[in-house]
Amino acid sequence: MKHSFLDKYSNLDSPVHRLDPRVKTVTALILIIIIVSETRGALFPFLFYIPVVAVLVAVSRIPWSYILKRCLIVAPFILLTALFYPISNMLASDYRPQGQYNHDYMVGLSIFLKAYSALILLILLTSSAKFHNLLLGLRKLKMPKLIGIISALMYRYVFLIHDEILKTNMARDSRTTGKLKMSRLKVFGNQSAMVFIRSFERSQTLYNSMLSRGFNGEFPSMSKLSVKGKELLLPGVLIFLMLVIRLANQNIQNYLFN
Amino acid sequence: MHISDGIIDINVCIAAGAVSIGLVYLSGRNTSVEEIPRMGMMGAALFVASLIHFPLAGTSMHLGLFGIAGIILGKRSFPPVFAALLFQSLIFQHGGLVTLGVNSINMGAGAFAAWLIWKSAFMNENIRALLAGFLGIIIPVLLMAVEFRLSGYGRGIVYLFSVYLLAAGIESIITLGAVRFIRKVKPGLLT
Repeated sequence: MKHSFLDKYSNLDSPVHRLDPRVKTVTALILIIIIVSETRGALFPFLFYIPVVAVLVAVSRIPWSYILKRCLIVAPFILLTALFYPISNMLASDYRPQGQYNHDYMVGLSIFLKAYSALILLILLTSSAKFHNLLLGLRKLKMPKLIGIISALMYRYVFLIHDEILKTNMARDSRTTGKLKMSRLKVFGNQSAMVFIRSFERSQTLYNSMLSRGFNGEFPSMSKLSVKGKELLLPGVLIFLMLVIRLANQNIQNYLFN
Repeated sequence: MHISDGIIDINVCIAAGAVSIGLVYLSGRNTSVEEIPRMGMMGAALFVASLIHFPLAGTSMHLGLFGIAGIILGKRSFPPVFAALLFQSLIFQHGGLVTLGVNSINMGAGAFAAWLIWKSAFMNENIRALLAGFLGIIIPVLLMAVEFRLSGYGRGIVYLFSVYLLAAGIESIITLGAVRFIRKVKPGLLT
């Protein structure tokens, strides 16, 4: 499986890259919560949120072209869901005054901006750390043990299953050409079943060999995570800045509407 | 079907996050060592399933496989679904971190409903497989509609989500094919 895109820019040297994965994850989560909990329909605060996110990307030295390329995969879905807001209200048969429709469009736009800002932060989080370090960080953050084991196994099985899919895709395509027909759906069913069976057998062998080598649910790691005091400066400043924007906007709104 | 951060109201996300942690705990408690590789494999398969695309009405759709996940994993569906969604949000940004709970409930409930139907003894196995595949998609869509309504979306969201009916139909046929194949080749995999 080609997964070089995962760790492509994780080796850069920047203040964002140097952060401990745990600090990075928690900071990203807090920033995302601050942004997505912003009042619906409020567009003004994004004049400040977006530059902060942009500065963070610039500091990380991860190219914008890469970030935008990864955004493109999800962007159509976000756009569609944001558009659903005014459309879903329009489709409801109740009478709504014109002002309400304008408000719906503003809410739709704010949903889009929220989702896009959160998306960029998420991409920044995963691109600025090696994926296995990110998983290790999550485990150190007291992720439930079962989820930790499943995630660690998944990280190994994903490549195994993907290879099976590539092989079976080739076999399926050579047998099924042309338009989608009922008979082709059966082939898709057989393909998924085949992938499950083969992967299950291989995963069982893999897991048994892990058990025979003394696996007890903990994955030993060479990476040692440590948080230094000065590392907390950047996340602290960022969170403080976002909270100030958030609270200032709330006060401005209260002042304007009361 | 994956809901990104910022789409759903934050209060709904927090409530769903708390519920999903409870469901993951309930679904995963007393897991035996033998069950773990199956859960890991199924989580990985759910993650990779999004890479199997098939053409549909000029566009393409990817498999969900929540029906098969429910049939194979049974009551253990929630932890692998949760882990798969965590991976999908981190690697492909399909779904978000704050909405992880919402997405886990939606898709985990789909797999769980599929298992309940699969376990019911009053129908022919083929019909149960068809229904399991159908519910594996429709239950998450219904829950999504409720969450969108709770987040202020209009009643019209139900019409917009009706496009998933076709996807559920296709998925049910694929689930039937997969179940029949597994029944022939490795029946022990079916719970």
